[in-house]
Amino acid sequence: MNTFANDLYLLVAAFGLALPVSYAGLPVLGQGAFVAVGAFGTLMLAVHGVPLLVAVLCASAMAAIAGYVLGFATTRLAGASLALGTWGVAWLAYVVLVQFPSVSGGSQGRTHTTPARLVSPSLGVVVTLHAWVHVLAAAVICAALAFVLWRGGRGPWGLDWAALRTGPVLADSLGVPVQRRRRALLAASAALGAVGGAGTALLAGVAAPADYSPLLSLQLFVAVLIGGTATWWGPAIGVGLLAAVPSAADGLANAFSIDPLRARGVLTAVLLVAALAAREPVTRLLQRVVASLPGHSFRVGGPLLPDQGVAGAYRSARGEQRGPTDANEGGVLLALTGVAVRYAGVQALAGVDIDLRAGEVHALVGPNGSGKSTVLRVASGVLTPAAGRVSINDRPVPAPGAAARRVVAGVARTLQRTALLGTLPTATQCAIGARAQDREPFLGVRHLVATPVARDAQRRRDAITAGALELTGLTGESDLAADRLDSASQRLLQIARAVATGAPAVLLDEPAAGMSAGQRRRLVGTLRSLTDSGRGVLLVEHDMSLIGQVADRVTVLDAGRVIASGTYAEIQRDPAVRRAYLGEVLDADAQEPAHS
Amino acid sequence: MTGGIFLQAVISGLSVGAVYGLVGLGFTLVWSLTRVLALAHGDVVVASVLMGVLVVIGRTPVASSPGVGHSVLLVVLTLAAGVVLAVLSYAVAVRPFLDRSRRSNDVLGWVAGTVTAGLVIRTALALALPAAAYAVPDALHLDQLTTSGVVDLPGGATVTVRSFAVFGVAVVVALATDWFIRASRAGRGMRAIAEDVDAATMCGVNVERLVIAAFALAGLLAAIAALLDAPAHSVAVDSGALLGLTGAAAALLGRLGSPRGAVVGGLALGVAQQLIATSSHLGAAWASAFPLAVLVTVVAVRPGGLRSGRQVVVE
Repeated sequence: MNTFANDLYLLVAAFGLALPVSYAGLPVLGQGAFVAVGAFGTLMLAVHGVPLLVAVLCASAMAAIAGYVLGFATTRLAGASLALGTWGVAWLAYVVLVQFPSVSGGSQGRTHTTPARLVSPSLGVVVTLHAWVHVLAAAVICAALAFVLWRGGRGPWGLDWAALRTGPVLADSLGVPVQRRRRALLAASAALGAVGGAGTALLAGVAAPADYSPLLSLQLFVAVLIGGTATWWGPAIGVGLLAAVPSAADGLANAFSIDPLRARGVLTAVLLVAALAAREPVTRLLQRVVASLPGHSFRVGGPLLPDQGVAGAYRSARGEQRGPTDANEGGVLLALTGVAVRYAGVQALAGVDIDLRAGEVHALVGPNGSGKSTVLRVASGVLTPAAGRVSINDRPVPAPGAAARRVVAGVARTLQRTALLGTLPTATQCAIGARAQDREPFLGVRHLVATPVARDAQRRRDAITAGALELTGLTGESDLAADRLDSASQRLLQIARAVATGAPAVLLDEPAAGMSAGQRRRLVGTLRSLTDSGRGVLLVEHDMSLIGQVADRVTVLDAGRVIASGTYAEIQRDPAVRRAYLGEVLDADAQEPAHS
Repeated sequence: MTGGIFLQAVISGLSVGAVYGLVGLGFTLVWSLTRVLALAHGDVVVASVLMGVLVVIGRTPVASSPGVGHSVLLVVLTLAAGVVLAVLSYAVAVRPFLDRSRRSNDVLGWVAGTVTAGLVIRTALALALPAAAYAVPDALHLDQLTTSGVVDLPGGATVTVRSFAVFGVAVVVALATDWFIRASRAGRGMRAIAEDVDAATMCGVNVERLVIAAFALAGLLAAIAALLDAPAHSVAVDSGALLGLTGAAAALLGRLGSPRGAVVGGLALGVAQQLIATSSHLGAAWASAFPLAVLVTVVAVRPGGLRSGRQVVVE
């Protein structure tokens, strides 16, 4: 009974760790430290007469704050620094416990009477925490967490987590507040680790430093890895395997007469190796098994439009959609005024004025290095200009920051290179973009209990997704993994995602790159429908015939300055443009007759 | 703290710090070529010298002063073990998780791979060497530079003559490594990969071979660090992980990717740690937690290392 309760408490910590590791793809190696904070924190507070439940909550809050602070700066560098930081924390916690008896109570650890009692004088209730009460409590917490992972993984949270996992930079450009989500996940994970730790300490009535060595962090990491990516049952399988380690280790230790602790290390190492080797194949196998069960779908965000035709849903949802329909026809969606940017010694932009109106395609052309992509970077908030002003919908943009806030403000952008959110299905990638249109607070929590608001939001996302796919002609490929689309469809998917964010100003960086003539015609159709829906498109493109077909206005940049602006025909006749493109020599020749 | 004690702490700190610097140098070298943090590096350090001990002396922990033959054997075996372990850990735990341009691709993969490699090395070593800790003989005989083995400092304190020798040897090795990276053909190739792996490939740099060479060099430095450091105290089988993290802290202090920075960072870390250890207010417990606290703080404040500028968001 005691062992089972202990394993269930470890499962609580593992479920917590699954959030950053298996759902958000972050390498967290320090869960053992947070378990220790929960265990020692609870017992220390209890010694000073703090009621047990309050002590557990305080210890968890302490761990959550630590997790949040740790997440503050360590979630960059593609996660590498997070691995190093959390591994450092795991060892730091252990060294502190071993070296500072004032904290840990020495090698014997801190103790508490068992079974512990929950006493509430005001209610006149005394609960004695027998082993079966622990089992019950831990099982309830585990069931609740499994439900949160299962249900949450299919709602708005699941979409955000999938975006974090598959493409953090891209997620940012689609309006997902990446750093905030990561910090929240790390804090939640740490708090759950502490709850698990408090449980194990109260159950055993003792917390000794040796039980919270970095090996525990590794074991929990393994437990989460074994189950594969984003599966609610993964941690349960992992902890189940880990639970078998101590008894198996004792057997091994007896058979080969080695230290039992060493034997645990051996088995953990074997499990780690096995988990690594089997990570991909086992996940695929298990997912296939679970998927073959009736009533299961593995698509993140749930089934798309269960009972409506795609086009019908789009039509019915058009009225509800915000964004482009709000913008007044011909109004200025985006304006850059006097923007200047310097890259290490190079003046990339020198006082550029550019605006984008609703319902137009505004093409930005110029030789390589003239500053076209820099304009898009400034407009989308990736780059802070040295001087000048950016305003969206006639409102000045506050402090420049993450691109995510720009998306909500009304500017979405595609990248010059093809960037996909891993192998997520086409529709899911659009649904992640559609998340930017969710304005209701606590949608993730509301989704857990399927409130009407959450259901409406889900329907709206499905409709937006269907609309974006229809607009880009990808409806037939909505269930395909994005890496199996052809390159032109992948380019169109980027536009579909940006459209799904609902931002009225859409910035496209060379969307036609790598497209054949037929695919370019399809792109022209997509751009026309974009402007028809009231959006404005700022288009960076090299293909002049494409620009001739779609652009309402063309601005020519050269060496970071606007040298001409007007219709396509006006631009073609402009001598300054001809000079920039064809060079001085030809220009001199052309002017010869005028002098003679 | 009297002047003599202070001097003693600084000198022994420089000696310990030079070893941290060598460990950090390997760590930073691997990072700059592959963007992988070698989390098993510390275990390679400890395993290299203990494998030498296992072959030359055996499984029973005995303190002995080996003859010339055994000393040479111990040095050669340790160096070989360091190189082999580092290259093996690359082949098994890192390579499968890199993309075509040998850059970190699957972060969860290599993190799990390298901590597993460390755990496997530690456990295998513990099975082969059952005692908790081993005394390692001074194969380089650095303690016999003076007859007493100690040097008197002004103010009444003494410091072992090894401290000077360890510092000297480590700095010479670090300078040689720096020269190798800056001046040799292979070193230029490594710097090219660190700058831009695609451009390096197009210029005909054999990326795979040089990445293996970098891991081998890191292993060699690890083995040298172990030979210098181990005789100063008994070596516990699983002390490697902590040493590796201390090396990582040194590398971070001097900016990740900078070989000279790693050595300077190691020296600073060693001196500060010794000063804390000899301080009457703080003492040994604080000294042992200090490098880890530095590591966690630097990672949290400046993920790229202390001397790096603000992180630029890369598209």
